[in-house]
Amino acid sequence: MIQRYNSVLILIGLYLVLAVISPLFFRMQNLVNIFMQSSITAIVALGLSLPILTGGIDLSVSSTAALAGAISAGLIVRSGWSVFSAIGLALLIGIGIGALIGLLVVLGRLPPFVASLSLMAVGRGLTLIYTEGKPISGLPAGYIALGSGSSGSIPNLVILLLILTFMTHVLLSRTRYGHHIYAIGGSADVARLAGIPVGRITISVYALSGFAAAFSGVLLTARLWSAQPTAGTGLELEAIAAVVIGGNSLMGGYGNAFGPVIGALIMGGIGNGLNLLKIPSYIQQVVRGLVLIVAVMADFRSHRNNAAAI
Amino acid sequence: MIDRGSLAIVFAARMRRSGLLLAFLALCVVLSILSNRFLTLPNALNILRQSSINGIIAAGMTLVILTAGIDLSVGSVLALSSVITAQLLVSGLPPLMAFFSGLFVGALLGLFNGILVTLFSLPPFVATLGTMTFARGLALSFTQGKPITGLPESFRVLGTGFVGPIPVPVIIVLAVFLIGMFFLNLTSQGEQLYALGNNPVAARFTGILVKLYIIVVYSVAGVLAALAGQILIARLDSAQPVMGMGYELDAIAAVVVGGSNFNGGSGGLAGTLIGVLFIVVINNGLNLLNIPSFWGQVVKGVVIAMALLFNRVSVQERKIDRESV
Repeated sequence: MIQRYNSVLILIGLYLVLAVISPLFFRMQNLVNIFMQSSITAIVALGLSLPILTGGIDLSVSSTAALAGAISAGLIVRSGWSVFSAIGLALLIGIGIGALIGLLVVLGRLPPFVASLSLMAVGRGLTLIYTEGKPISGLPAGYIALGSGSSGSIPNLVILLLILTFMTHVLLSRTRYGHHIYAIGGSADVARLAGIPVGRITISVYALSGFAAAFSGVLLTARLWSAQPTAGTGLELEAIAAVVIGGNSLMGGYGNAFGPVIGALIMGGIGNGLNLLKIPSYIQQVVRGLVLIVAVMADFRSHRNNAAAI
Repeated sequence: MIDRGSLAIVFAARMRRSGLLLAFLALCVVLSILSNRFLTLPNALNILRQSSINGIIAAGMTLVILTAGIDLSVGSVLALSSVITAQLLVSGLPPLMAFFSGLFVGALLGLFNGILVTLFSLPPFVATLGTMTFARGLALSFTQGKPITGLPESFRVLGTGFVGPIPVPVIIVLAVFLIGMFFLNLTSQGEQLYALGNNPVAARFTGILVKLYIIVVYSVAGVLAALAGQILIARLDSAQPVMGMGYELDAIAAVVVGGSNFNGGSGGLAGTLIGVLFIVVINNGLNLLNIPSFWGQVVKGVVIAMALLFNRVSVQERKIDRESV
């Protein structure tokens, strides 16, 4: 039982250590900051955790986020669309990119790594073409409120993250669809023999991952008040790190909806703590890399039987 | 005696294996029709020179992928080893010493990856992602984010020199591939590397030192990434801490386009070489045809996916082979 809560323990331990080191850490304002800064990575990681649960991966999330942000912003600013329909189309594009990856994986039998890698290049290229390499700004208040506003004292970003986490949790633990995802991650062949529509489910998890990536791209744009053509660069590796630090297996079949969020909060907490301690940003990167290794090492030692046979 | 049926099977297998080569030749033919500058000696040398950096990195990546691993850290390893070499050069160390110090840094980082993957059983993806992050951080803090320039002329030969008409980087990349191919195809160690990629458990039971092999392979990948970095800074006369970002994906793309399989145990350096050239020729063609660079990424992504779809029959076949063994 303790194994399941490993990442929660790491999160609590980390926050306690940071609170001891810096008195500013446990202020409400600071904690809200951490949540806000982690939420975009967390939302991407939530979506990305679904393909990973099936034993796949999706590298295209960063460029999908950039494309969705750019297109939604461009449609509103340049073409006069309403906020609602522009965001709707951007999300549909995200779903479409994800579904295309799923089709390449299922029908084309490409490894997910490569299928999503090609769409990562295509997505980034399309973003550069659409934005002509320049940021798009001048967004209406209704759009910006999504990422920068708050309801009562809680930022909208945090509310959206909580809703999405809850929905993913229900999807994974309470629905037949969720159980099928785990089954495919355990063994696609066995799942197929058990009559699970492996192909359709595989395509759909990539579509959901594309949706989450596009949504986070819109939120990122709203937070930055503008769509940047290079937005989200490196987001895919950050999100994968969040999923793994949160204790979900990279080989599929093992994990839950809370893992990616906890992983993102651990990384956000580390970044925040290093800032409070005034550690130079270059050194922060060194620390982050080492923490990733140590966290995963701790996790792998605790359930080593699940690890590869080597 | 070979009957006609089995001859046809052998022929069909050959065709599939050379599918990539045919696609590559077709691309070259199309480009030479579209642009009369494509099929010239300067352009050919240009293509080879542009292939050298990714080629050297991809050679190491091929070995790692043969063991069913992956190395995301190559871009950062390249950057860290290059800035260290550059700093040593600027502070007056003899070029040869600085060069080998850079390679040593690459070997150490690769060794670290290998130890994490074998002794600590970390998934290669995560282990090398961690190294990728902290090595980049080290490169940035070592240089305080600033480029190091003014490298001695004797060192710059590595990137800008010629032997006869042939650029030095081209000679180095060819040497790397020849040595690698000799090792993989003609030595028993190479054979054992394929065996452990195919089935690590069975390989261990036959007495192959699986962990040692994997550690060596990651170290070699680190050295080769560092070597590519040395050539790059020699050509640019400047070492920057942000160099090599995204190089890991270029190298992986070349290896996979070249027909190596992520599950390990199948593929090889000949395919990787074609994969590297394939990607450079696409970029070269886009340049010659004056296609805006933003479209380059789109075309690159589409062509990589197409090349793999084109090749998928042979991949499927190998999978079935492995399952039936």
